[in-house]
Parts: sequence; structure tokens; C-alpha cells
Amino acid sequence: MNVVITPAMVGQVVISGILAGALYSLVALGLALIFGVMRVINIAHGPLLMLGAYTTFFLYDLFGLNPYLSIPVTMAALFVVGVVLQRTLVFRVVDAPELSSLLLTFGISIGLVNLAQLAFTSDLRAVEYLTGSFPLGPFAVSKPRLVAFVFAAGVTGLAFLFLQRSRVGKAIRATSQSREVAMVCGIDVGRIHMLTFGLATALAAAGGALIAVIVAIQPEMGQIWTFKSFLVIVLGGAGNYPGALLGGMLLGLIEQMASLFLTTQLSEVVAYVLLVVVLLVRPTGLLGGRQI
Amino acid sequence: MTAKTLGAVVVATAVLFASLPVGAQGPIRVGASMSLTGTYAKLGNYQYEGYKLCAKQINDKGGLLGRKVEFVVYDDQSTPATAVRLYEKLITEDKVDAVMGPYSSPVSEASANVTEKYKKVMVMPLAATTSIFKKGRKYIFMVISPSEVYLEGLVDMAAKRGLKTIAIINEDTLFAKAAASGAADLAKKRGMEVVFQEGYPKGNQDFSAMLTKIKAANPDALAASTYFDDAVAITRQMKELNVNPKMYGVTVGGDLPEFYTLLKQNAEYITGATQWEAALPYPGNTDFAEAYKKEFGREPVYHSAAGYAGCTVWAEAVRRAGSLDTEKVREVLLKLEVKTAFGAFKVDADGFQTAHKMVTTQWQDGKKVIVWPDELATGKLRFPMPPWNQR
Repeated sequence: MNVVITPAMVGQVVISGILAGALYSLVALGLALIFGVMRVINIAHGPLLMLGAYTTFFLYDLFGLNPYLSIPVTMAALFVVGVVLQRTLVFRVVDAPELSSLLLTFGISIGLVNLAQLAFTSDLRAVEYLTGSFPLGPFAVSKPRLVAFVFAAGVTGLAFLFLQRSRVGKAIRATSQSREVAMVCGIDVGRIHMLTFGLATALAAAGGALIAVIVAIQPEMGQIWTFKSFLVIVLGGAGNYPGALLGGMLLGLIEQMASLFLTTQLSEVVAYVLLVVVLLVRPTGLLGGRQI
Repeated sequence: MTAKTLGAVVVATAVLFASLPVGAQGPIRVGASMSLTGTYAKLGNYQYEGYKLCAKQINDKGGLLGRKVEFVVYDDQSTPATAVRLYEKLITEDKVDAVMGPYSSPVSEASANVTEKYKKVMVMPLAATTSIFKKGRKYIFMVISPSEVYLEGLVDMAAKRGLKTIAIINEDTLFAKAAASGAADLAKKRGMEVVFQEGYPKGNQDFSAMLTKIKAANPDALAASTYFDDAVAITRQMKELNVNPKMYGVTVGGDLPEFYTLLKQNAEYITGATQWEAALPYPGNTDFAEAYKKEFGREPVYHSAAGYAGCTVWAEAVRRAGSLDTEKVREVLLKLEVKTAFGAFKVDADGFQTAHKMVTTQWQDGKKVIVWPDELATGKLRFPMPPWNQR
């Protein structure tokens, strides 16, 4: 009952892996930013993505807004949520031991999921906007996943440009390299932390908006993205932004390849075994940590 | 006061107490841990509504053994470990008079350890895993058909139409795994070849590699043992990758109205399996569905009906036993043969359900039609499923 794997199948799966990888990169970049700048591991990253997905759904369902064109609206809304979270809660644990930040963001995560359950109920929702695929020679390229790839690449690219070129972006990177020196240079570190958390949340929201068109939306959809993003930034090097991109692509491809050559059941096992191997062999991640 | 008058007072007091209205003895408190939040929140709430309606109807008719029935419910957040703690609390601290089962096989499996320890009869309306009932436990009772027969309708219809090969996939959890292995056994028995079988982790969102392999295996039928969001994701990706079996069926999810709301016309031709439908000609079924709609403002699903029926069966057993005594209620339940709004109920010596029947449904022009078994069918199976790119 074994299926013979042909090159065409491998090609198909590579396409799927790259498409999935771009989304992983986008979402993980947010987590990497927060960790890089504040040394906070944000467990609530996935649930914030879930809020982004719901925002997209309601904009689509109530106002008929195109789920892709509403991405800036969703990102802006969640940017505000991120800033408020940082302002009210997260700033308290920035200098505390890492366990405190884990506990706090874990609490926020549980709170968000249960609030979503109360507010939106646990009914599954979907943005049934784009289905089917484009034929590409012998391959099929999923329409919603291809569009998600394009947008994910676009948003990630813009985020990079922002970090590299803009004054605020430079300030963010400076803070991430050394908070004391940044402060001495006159950077308002508190404000940078707020902006970073807002930006990271907006990136998660963009991911949520794109995922909303692909899978069903429910309050629990986010947690798995926290774990995947965590995997991605450890693979790529925690706090290293290009590392998050590489890690995302790698995870997408590894999962799909493992699923093709082994079984889908084992694809997660393979990803986590790889995580352990990377931690043993290169604890700073493939691209090394904190070099920006 | 003479001895004679004292005797009269005692008798009078006794008569007075005996004639007091329902509730004088205090209500019968039935404890249950329910998945009101977490992964199973949606279905757990449906089950809980079934319990609530059952209790309300018993109380409207004058109660059980002359006492009101009252549910004491805590939220287990869909986790077995929490449910274990809650049943301990219900039995030892709250000292409830009886218990009813939680939602889902994993939670029921864990909870059964507690109720067995305290020798409490527990009717478990939403436990579908055979193994739970094959571990020598004495006080648990099954209501719904076991996981293994969820895909029986699909396999039977495929075999009857001369299909030779089948691919079977499942979420890698207790229930879904059992449904898949049950389907594989049934298919082999019917002379079909299982050309592909694979599990996927819970929460998996990308099925492209798996579906690429299925496309290469080119099965006549595809049976997916799913919960809900995975059924939606698999269907969407089948369309993307143009995977075209002649028949395609899922287990849980395919029968829920939301399945069609989410997938729209892409849900056409897909079969789902269900334990119950409002349209089935069971005694009291229409009344149940109407009362449910009136009470909760939404249509019941099978989880609601199973919860309702489980509670009804338990109450019937208590009524026949004439007491809440564990051993007496157990004896009655073991021999009980009834038909409820949910269908037939009869268990073997292990408490394992032997009488209840599954039905298979198919989405046809936006309507859910019962296509299997023949004696309950409300329509004919649309076959074969047309290729995605020709719809």
C-alpha cells in the first residue's frame, strides 16, 4: 500500500512548503522582534493572531470588505491592541527574569482565548473568499495560499525596510542591541518597546488575516502558531530577524517533506527533533542570535 | 399526653411529610463535568443543553421518585485531567446523588476511573470508544454507536457500487483512530483494498503532502476520520489539488449545518456520519427537536440528542429501580431495552452499546439527506462525485 513518490510529487510538496513557510516567517518575525528588543517570550502571539483572523472575518462578514484589502485595517487595529497590552501589562516584566514574562504572556494568552470564546462563541467561522488552485504545468498552486505568500512576503519585506531604513526602525534595532547605549543616545526606550510590541502584534494580525482565508477560524486556532513561531525563531536564531525568515522557510519545507516521505503524523516529530538537534549543535540558531 | 394521642401525632406528622409536594426531600443532584470552554466547547455545550432539557422535562412532569432533578455542572475546559478532579469533587465534596458523563472519549475514559472507584453508575452519552468499555469497568454505560462503525455507511455504499479501492485518513486521536481502523476492517471484509492509510496530528492545517500521496494512490473512495476544522481544511485542499475519488466521506463535522455554511457548494456530494438526525422516525424525536428549539433557540445536533437520551435513559432506569441505589440502577440498566428520541438503547454485560444505529448523510443542493441505511434513507446517494474542475 506504499505510494511511489515521483519527482512531480516532490515538486508539488516543495511548492506547498514554500507557501506555508512564508506565513511562518511573517508570524515568527513578530515573535523575534519582541524577543530581540525586550527579551520577552510572548506566548500570547498566537492568540493575537487569532484576534487578527476574527477582525478580518467580521470586516468581511459585516461590511463585505475584501479580506486582503482589509489587511491594513486589521494590522492597525491590532497594533493598537499591542500597544495597549505593552503599556498596561508587558512593560512590567521587561526587566524581570524570563519566567515572569512567560507566566504573564501565558496568562494573557488564556485570557484572550477565553474572551474570544465568550465574545465570538466557539462556532467555526470562515472567510470563503478564494478557493481552488492555479494549474502550473503538472503542479497545482493553491490560490489562497499563493496570495497569502505574496502578501506575507510583501508585509515582511516592508517590515524589514522599516527596520533597516526608518529612524524608528533603527532605534528599535539599537535598543535590541544594547538598551543602555540606546538610552544614552537619547532613544526613548519605553516608547520603542511600545512600538515594537505594536508592530509585532500587527505582524501576527497580518498572518491571522491571511490564514483566515485558508482555514476555519475559532478561538483556539492561535496557540499552534505560538509553538510554530517559537520553533522558527529557535531554528533561525532567537532575536535574529533574517534568521526568522530562514527558519520559517525551513520549517515549511521540513514539515511538508517529512509528511511526504514519512507520514503526516511524524512531520511534527521531525520538526521538534530538529529543534533539539539545533539546540545541541548550534544553540544560537542557524544564523546565530542577536546579530542584526 | 397519653400514649394513644402521642401515637396519633406521630402518624399525623408522617402523613403530613409524605404528602408534601415535590422537592420536600430536596432535589436529586446530578453531577457532571462538561467541556464548556476549550477545544470541545461547541459540542460540549450542545450535550449540556440536552441534559438541561431532559431535567426540565422531568421536573415539569412531577420529578423523579417525587423529587426534582438538578444538574451540578463544572467546566473541565475540555481536558481529561481537570474532569478527573471535578468528578472527585462532585462525589466527595458536593456529595451528588448521581453522575452523568462528560463530553468526548478521552475525557470519559479518564473520568470513568473516578466514578468506578466510588462505585457510581455513570451513563456516558458521548463516549464512542470501544476500549473504554472493555477494561472490566462495571458501572459505565454507553449510549451512542462505537467509533468503529462511523464509516460503515460509506464503506457499505462504496462496496455495493463496486468500488475496489479506498484510502483512509484520520486525526491521530483516540476516537478518530478507532473510526479509521474500524473502516479499514470493514473495507477488507467487503473485499476492498486499502491503498492508503495515514494519520495526522491534531491541529494540522496543511494537508497538501498527504493529499498529494492520495492523488498518486488514486483510490475509488476516500474516508476521512475527522473532527471539524480538519474536515473543512481537507476538503478545501482536495479541491486545490484536484483529488477526485468517486466517493468522499468524513465523520464528525460533515453532518453539522456549519459544514455547509463554511464550504458552500464545495460540500456537495460529501457524506457525513451521524448518530442522529431530527428527521429520523424515532419515538418522541419530533417533540424533542421542537422543545429543544424553543428552549435554546437553535436546532439540536446529535450531541444534544445523545445528552438528552442519556439522561432520559438514566432517569428511566432510576424510575424502574425505584431508587438511586447504585447496584439496583445498574441491574436495571443492564437489562433495559428502550427506544428514545435518539434511537434504540441496549447494552451488553460490559455496558457496551449494541442496539443503536448510525446513519450516513450527504449534502445535496444545500440539504442534508439521509442516504444510509436504506430503511431510514430520505433520499438516494448522488454518485459518483464529479471531479472538482468540472463542477
